[in-house]
Amino acid sequence: MSANEPVSHLSEAELRAMTADLDAIHHDLTLPALKDSLAEWSEDIRAYGDADRGAASEQRLKFDRRRFLTTAAGVAGGVAGAGLLAACTSSSSSSTSAPASASASATGSAAAVGGGEGQMLSGDLQVVAMAASLENSGIATYQAGIKAATAGKLGTVPPAVVTFAQTAMAQHEDHQKAWNAVLTAAGKKPVTAVDPVIQPTINTAFAKVTNVTGLAELALMVENIAGETYQNGLSVIKSAAGIKTAASIQPVEFQHAAILSFVLGKYPVPNAFTGVSLARPPSDYHT
Amino acid sequence: MEIDETALNGLIEQSRDTHADAQRAAREPLADMVDLGRQTRAAGAADPDENRAFAGENRRRLASVAKRAGSLLAATGVIAAIADYIGSPAFAASGTDVQVLQTASSIEVLAVSTYKTALGLPYIGGSTANPVVKTFATTTMSQHADHLAAFQSATTALGGSKQTKPDPAFVPVVDKAVTAITKASPSAGALLVVALALELENIAAETYVSNMSLLSDANAKKVTASIMGVEAQHVSILLAVQALLKGGAGADITLPPPVAKLPAAAGSVGFPNAFYPTTNAAPASQGAM
Repeated sequence: MSANEPVSHLSEAELRAMTADLDAIHHDLTLPALKDSLAEWSEDIRAYGDADRGAASEQRLKFDRRRFLTTAAGVAGGVAGAGLLAACTSSSSSSTSAPASASASATGSAAAVGGGEGQMLSGDLQVVAMAASLENSGIATYQAGIKAATAGKLGTVPPAVVTFAQTAMAQHEDHQKAWNAVLTAAGKKPVTAVDPVIQPTINTAFAKVTNVTGLAELALMVENIAGETYQNGLSVIKSAAGIKTAASIQPVEFQHAAILSFVLGKYPVPNAFTGVSLARPPSDYHT
Repeated sequence: MEIDETALNGLIEQSRDTHADAQRAAREPLADMVDLGRQTRAAGAADPDENRAFAGENRRRLASVAKRAGSLLAATGVIAAIADYIGSPAFAASGTDVQVLQTASSIEVLAVSTYKTALGLPYIGGSTANPVVKTFATTTMSQHADHLAAFQSATTALGGSKQTKPDPAFVPVVDKAVTAITKASPSAGALLVVALALELENIAAETYVSNMSLLSDANAKKVTASIMGVEAQHVSILLAVQALLKGGAGADITLPPPVAKLPAAAGSVGFPNAFYPTTNAAPASQGAM
């Protein structure tokens, strides 16, 4: 057997059979429950109104921007070097206007460019908008990676890595749809733009990716930021239904991270507790 | 592919350093909880009406669990055991958050003891064990011990009693599985160990995901949120290991795995759901004191 041949004992059919039952449960039970939560959350948001706009949401936010930048700089060592820190630093309070169009050209993802900003969102809706934009960045990253792989720019790409990227991207698309469903139910526009603060960082890192390992390192950073952002969001969201939704997504991002770490040869569950030092604050979202 | 022991040990060391940082980060909410617990105790006991409502809600949830039971848990009569337990006079009389945290502790107690038992098997923790599997089992047991300590601290901070006993509903399940494991061959036993660990990790992750919307204390939420993703990561790795074992590719359980050799479907086996389910979550007061 050559190094590139699939393990003979482990067939596609066997693996697909193993996951078929889980898929059935997911579609029969999990998705209807999610729809209920999203509908309930939309009702809650309508009930809350915009009364607590402004100071209250700032007060709830337990995020330290300086801590994010410091920790991100550490992550940068494995991904984009100084580019990550530079991108984040230059994005401080006024950075929310970072050009999404530029990021899209760098990632090669025109689909990631869009709107949803400037809606004067607050409270749970601001958290939702940040989450949707972050999902867009995740989708754009995987899209760009798949495109580069297809074009032969990343060398030999193992089939399992292709499946990982396609499945993770599809799950991020599901998450984005869930977040945007809450926005549209509240009478707001869906967020179709990438995260304006983190996207330049992703672009800088992606420009240096030349192989599967580099792409996996970048994806790992994006997944950890997403997981930590939703973990932070769980402390900010007021609606119980909203908490249910965010809680159902956070572990999935960390699962993506675990598999990426495993593939990279890093210990896949490095911490007994996941943190929020990389979390994107909802207040960074350009309302 | 041979595993590089030196590199693995280095990674584990790095992991411990990062883990220590994370533990330090967890101390802040726990310290806040101590203050809040003192305030709660000073203000008086928990609201008995709230507790009754919570218990009722969990009985309804139990009925729902029983209805769709078809897994390992249903096969052992565990549903009846849960019903008996919840109906007993010893059923929790403390606040909702305390009950939820005690249940979480009871699951962690069981997880720690299960991994400890598994590590006693020569093909999991002994000289014939795959080094990656042995390291995973050892590290995961330690992480569950940390989770237990965090949930217990959170419980006492809110004025509750520390839960040190395993979840009574799941004990018979684990006992039955362990009996089968001890009688099995190493190859069959390894699969049974992974299946049992997977079931426990999934119960833990789903229970904590489900609990997030029940908790009212901000710091109890933070502690739970910082743990549920870790259990989900354990699930991912166990799913990947299970797939390799079932495919007769146990030798490929290495760090990193031989990705180029794996079939395409292996790329998604570790994260089957876009949204983490809660269908197998334990009733939130099941392990309450």
